[in-house]
Amino acid sequence: MSIEAQNRWDKLRWVGATITPALLMLTLMAYLPIIYALTLGFYHRTAFNPDAVWTGLDNFIWIVNDPGLWHALNRSLVFTVGSVSAQLAFGLFFGLLLHQGMRGLNVMRTLVILPYLLPVVVVGLVFRWILNPEFGIVNQVLMDIGLIDLPINFFGGLDTAMLSVIVATVWQYGSFAALLIFARLQSINPKLYEAARTSGAGAWRCFMDVTLPNLRTTLLVIVLLRGIWMFNKFDLIWIITAGGPLEATETLPIYAYKLAFQDFDFGRAAAACTAMFLVLVIGSILYFRFFNPTREVEVGR
Amino acid sequence: MAKYIKTVSSVSRRRFLSNTVATGALALATPSIMRRSAYGQSPNRIVFISEESSDKAQAVYDRINADFERETGISVTMEYPGFTNIAQRVATLIAAGTPAEIVWYGAGQAMDVALQGQLADVSDLVTKHNIPDNLRMVVDGADRSVPTSQQFFYGWYRQDLYEEQGLAPYETWEDYLNVVKSLNSPPEIYGNVIPSVEQGASHLLLETMFQKNDVHWFSYDEAEGKYRVALDEGENLSRAIEAMEFLHEAHQYSPEASNYNWAELMSEYYTGNVANSYYVGARLLDQTAANNPDLAQHTMPVALPRRLTESYYLSVQGFHVHKDSNVDGAKQYVSFFLEHPAYVDWLHSVPLHIIPAQQSMLQSEAYQDNEFIQQRMDVLEFLDSIWGKGTPPYYWDGPVLNPLVGLYQNANRGGRMLAERNIRGTDSETVVRETAEWIRNRVAEEEARQQ
Repeated sequence: MSIEAQNRWDKLRWVGATITPALLMLTLMAYLPIIYALTLGFYHRTAFNPDAVWTGLDNFIWIVNDPGLWHALNRSLVFTVGSVSAQLAFGLFFGLLLHQGMRGLNVMRTLVILPYLLPVVVVGLVFRWILNPEFGIVNQVLMDIGLIDLPINFFGGLDTAMLSVIVATVWQYGSFAALLIFARLQSINPKLYEAARTSGAGAWRCFMDVTLPNLRTTLLVIVLLRGIWMFNKFDLIWIITAGGPLEATETLPIYAYKLAFQDFDFGRAAAACTAMFLVLVIGSILYFRFFNPTREVEVGR
Repeated sequence: MAKYIKTVSSVSRRRFLSNTVATGALALATPSIMRRSAYGQSPNRIVFISEESSDKAQAVYDRINADFERETGISVTMEYPGFTNIAQRVATLIAAGTPAEIVWYGAGQAMDVALQGQLADVSDLVTKHNIPDNLRMVVDGADRSVPTSQQFFYGWYRQDLYEEQGLAPYETWEDYLNVVKSLNSPPEIYGNVIPSVEQGASHLLLETMFQKNDVHWFSYDEAEGKYRVALDEGENLSRAIEAMEFLHEAHQYSPEASNYNWAELMSEYYTGNVANSYYVGARLLDQTAANNPDLAQHTMPVALPRRLTESYYLSVQGFHVHKDSNVDGAKQYVSFFLEHPAYVDWLHSVPLHIIPAQQSMLQSEAYQDNEFIQQRMDVLEFLDSIWGKGTPPYYWDGPVLNPLVGLYQNANRGGRMLAERNIRGTDSETVVRETAEWIRNRVAEEEARQQ
């Protein structure tokens, strides 16, 4: 073997040795289950029947014809758009606030990040408690100040359940957006603001012409990441409402979960998960095509 | 590193495509390759999943299990997934090829597993332990459940509030509505609680009212020897609508309860938020005694209001053995459990709630030798008086076990019906007809699958 080939082989072995454990772990814990889940949709497989029987596209045809899937997709889109928009607004508000450099900034930063650190179960149960129609503090306060005569069942009302769940998710995950935005704001060149003020720009114009363009990439990345995560959100919704009342909060993950663990039909559940995956892939492709979050904005000189 | 990457990128397009096709084919074949087979057949070990998970019950299990292991050398591993999750846990273990040897839970839930051919024949144990006929679950010609206990679905009311208002305990539907209306004074207190959600508590409430009004979900065709959906036919339809309207009216005197299940039926009562509640058994009384002892002494049992029948929804619980597990060890355990002196202590873990399968046990000194039972002999006498009036849902519609009950019961369809009527405001006739159609579709689906 030539020296060059020997060197190449040594490098290959070194690279192989370093990445193999991680690759193996990734394959076993992520790739294989994903492949299994994607292909299970082509089989009839239930909890009580160990044999996986090939059914081709039957499961996919069934779920496409099931009104429940479209209802769940609609709910998912409402939840995702509502939750992400509110998280962005939350993040922008607190990011700008933290950027002011006021006293107690460190304390404030800790308080903003605190909800994100809490386990989802804790957040879900706490929100169920404080919005409880009989014992919750929110209803007590609203009744005491005379805004309502009878308590509101926030998580049990057809009109209020989705909004209440969105509030809970924004409370927990809005801090993620706030921190990213705050970090980006810290890196904006102060001279840009000086130049803008010298040109006679007020606070609003500074925000529109300096802050927002520089935040563009960060905001688009937040929308992409939070959008994917909110679209796949299962835990908090399940803890709070289990998809009820009457499917008012039944998003696609909950729809798939019910197929798997209430109907015990793993094939159809896998088909529903594949549908979710396709929606996200298409959404991501369109997102990158129209928004191109990797493109940095050039501020005019 | 760059040289390595360059080497990889020089793979030919043909090789890349062929590798991709091979990987894809392997992926498609993977589910059928990854077949499972039960391996839980170690003769020295059994796994026991129990729906009853109170501290006292667990302590009794520990005692009995220790004695069992000492005597037989077989160790027992317990699991307590909780009432809501037990069916899912059982199904998951079966799907994984590691079924638990014994599951103690409702025979109604177990019936679905039995119909899939998963449960062992336990006829020998049923005969040995003199299980009453009305509690047996016979599938494919054999007993699949060893019933240990039963619970009736009945009401609980605040005697102190009734006496204050000069009211007598209700007997008919009209009585019930009058009483709950009189006691209704929101937001301080509601007349009753009508859970209206796709959950077990709502479903059992509707099932019970259907039984009281002699409504049948199915009718049995003797000629064909099978059941067919009859909920939206003839008198069934009108009576079903009647029952739904009754519960809808009662819902006017209830919290919205669109997300209430068993826990809320109890908590709404012992926090003094409702004057009337119900439960499948006496756990409500047990929890009231634990959380609000002063209220417990005023808490009285009452039969839910009758209409055309006095039937009670009967919930039967028992031991179920998986056929591909350590069946011998499991059967040994079941017999050991039922013959162990601590069996009565197990019944006492939630006194008056876990009611023995045999009336003779209920009337025995051993069972009544319990402080709580002695304080509440009125409840025991109530249970004694309604003995034999309960009907499990799978025997309600005909003389033979109805295998189709699980199609609507395990989906808590009755709860959905109440939610549609009381929360969404859909009219009762539409709800009943849509439900009947939904069940027919599921029956057709199931029959197609079995072919």
